[in-house]
Amino acid sequence: MRRYNLCVIGAGPAGLSAAIEAAKTGMSVGVFDENQKAGGQLFKQIHKFFGSREHKASIRGFNIGYELLTEAKALGVDVHLDSVVIGIYDPLRITVCEDGCITNYAADNIVVATGASENTVPFEGWDLPGVLGAGAAQTMMNLHGVQPGEKIIMLGSGNVGLVVGFQLLQAGCKVEAVVDALPHVGGYGVHASKLARTGVPFYLSHSIVRAEGEDHVTGVVIAQVDSHFNFLPGTEKHFDADTVCLAVGLNPMSQLTRMAGCEMVNKGGLVPKTDKYGATTIDGLFAAGDVAGIEEASSAMITGRIAALSAAKRSGFIDEKQFEDGYNENHSSILKLRKGMFAPENRGRMDITKTDEGYPLSVSLLENGFVSDTEIRTFPGVISEEGVHPVIECTQNIPCDPCQEACRVGCIKIGEGITSLPQVNADKKCVNCGRCVAVCPGQAIFLVDEETENGFGTVTMPYEFLPLPQKGDIGVGLDRAGKAVCTAEVTDVKSRKEFDHTNLLTVKVPSEMVMKVRFYKGKEAAKHE
Amino acid sequence: MRIKEHPIIDSYDKGALIEFTCDGKKLNGYEGEPVAAALEANGIKIHRYTRKRHSPRGIFCAIGRCTDCVMEVDGKPNVRTCVTPLKAGMTVKTQYGDGQREAEKE
Amino acid sequence: MSEIMDRSKDIGEFIPRPDDDVIICRCEEITRGEIRKAVHMGLWTMTEVKRYLRCGMGLCQGQTCSKTVKVIIASELGIKPQELEECTARPPVRPIELGIFGNEVEKL
Repeated sequence: MRRYNLCVIGAGPAGLSAAIEAAKTGMSVGVFDENQKAGGQLFKQIHKFFGSREHKASIRGFNIGYELLTEAKALGVDVHLDSVVIGIYDPLRITVCEDGCITNYAADNIVVATGASENTVPFEGWDLPGVLGAGAAQTMMNLHGVQPGEKIIMLGSGNVGLVVGFQLLQAGCKVEAVVDALPHVGGYGVHASKLARTGVPFYLSHSIVRAEGEDHVTGVVIAQVDSHFNFLPGTEKHFDADTVCLAVGLNPMSQLTRMAGCEMVNKGGLVPKTDKYGATTIDGLFAAGDVAGIEEASSAMITGRIAALSAAKRSGFIDEKQFEDGYNENHSSILKLRKGMFAPENRGRMDITKTDEGYPLSVSLLENGFVSDTEIRTFPGVISEEGVHPVIECTQNIPCDPCQEACRVGCIKIGEGITSLPQVNADKKCVNCGRCVAVCPGQAIFLVDEETENGFGTVTMPYEFLPLPQKGDIGVGLDRAGKAVCTAEVTDVKSRKEFDHTNLLTVKVPSEMVMKVRFYKGKEAAKHE
Repeated sequence: MRIKEHPIIDSYDKGALIEFTCDGKKLNGYEGEPVAAALEANGIKIHRYTRKRHSPRGIFCAIGRCTDCVMEVDGKPNVRTCVTPLKAGMTVKTQYGDGQREAEKE
Repeated sequence: MSEIMDRSKDIGEFIPRPDDDVIICRCEEITRGEIRKAVHMGLWTMTEVKRYLRCGMGLCQGQTCSKTVKVIIASELGIKPQELEECTARPPVRPIELGIFGNEVEKL
């Protein structure tokens, strides 16, 4: 029987990171994934990641996937694709179905990194063609290059719903609405703002009554719900739509660990009980990534590394000191991510009203998906200054700091704690390089010049859509709520390789509009709304 | 509909353009892409009708787990079209209920 | 089923709901009403409901419906979903054709 020092089940961010870390210590590693391509959810993620440089912030998910895969292969990791691990047995070995046959592999250690699958929420008509998971829509658009539909209703305002909603717009689909039964937007406010400014309406405290259609979806009816999620009569709203995306949470795929006999606990789903080193209750069996508890891809990579270090120590590939050093480095890295209102311990809380610094959270952002004109002025990233300067509309404590490093003249400060709100330093002179605008994963930074000529100013915004507007185009400026508020003339379009597909669009608008206009639409596109 | 130009994704790494049939109708697709993607690109949303209620079903998870997208492919039923690579000359058929092998019909 | 359950609890009569006709188990086309009725028939565990109705026994083997079925059973019993015992997890964790099982290969 073929033996590996470490068998990793799942080639997503956690699995690949575990494989890389283990291979570096000299362990022989075999990674097994049931899919035809490695990378798990990473290759579907076309947005820039949050966090700090160590967490690969501002790098697009699929590029992180390529990096991990290349590194794993270079270290001699055997990546078995189209290989389904169908059972874990005692003594540690796995049974794999690959190449049309069954094979057993012996393992000194196993890391289970099988991730999670999408939750479902049944409603009348949900089995019609046209209703699909948000992840499914992502797979179709970003992996296969096919639109999942034309007119989409997104159910769920967590990060998955918001991120996929934006990607649907980038794929050329129309998102008719984002619907969520809860009263607050569940994901990062900046993700919601990206959608809201293009005109996508948010319906919080609403849910889907039914999807209509004979043999595929042709319409969707939503209605308001009370705090017990019962529909309120008389609040039905009908949408013409051909697609419904379900983004209602993730469920850890922990069957293998349950089969193996691990003690299981409830942590947003049934997960194997693990200690801080990733060890389950079965000696030699570790768990990492979403299967150990739903978090983000950035956390998955770190927990994967920690589990690998634990396995390496257990089998004597590293000593106690090397393990402690490795663990501490990764532990402090993950602590940076687990702070702020979106930290795992704060999940589901509806009572957070202020940022860590004491600024009142934008109620409009939580209830409608955009910060109101009055609220925006209260935040430290939003200042008024002569000449061009950054305006940072980052209003929640999210673990993220690439903007600080992007500014080479010191205009932007976050400090040591990466969840702190960015501040704009009025003493430093902005040089209008645009790097902060391009690098912000939340697309929340704008360069504003309140008065460039008599009565007019300019706004430079991140722009990731096609067709790309041209210098000289005349269109409309939209505010944070997606409402057209004035005419806008495109005065500059910057597309640089270092900006990684985030174009910088500069528009000229009346001076009194520079603190309102946050999106641009060509006249033709605006007319069809 | 296929995405011709994407603001972030430079290319989709597609294979050669080939022909296949769905319920006897000749369609085009790219070699190696999932059958379900080729069908969606051709505007086909219904993959099968269920056994009890004869309800239409299509893509749901797109990742090979829910089995709603199964069709009869080259005579074999219950083939998950979202994870099965398209080949030139493939015969794809709408599945009714649990499907029946071509051989059994004869 | 390793846990002992107190079946003397009164969970009330089956009261029809407007959404009883919504499909819960997509593979086997089992509705919410059928699951709820099964609970009122005396089937109080995931395993019993699964074996009686076949929800979770179709092609996807419960990948899609298990969590929802759990919530429905728990709701009828007036308990939290976490209090319900899962069905036994047995290999193979994914459906495999019998022919493949007959093809065991030793790799060295």
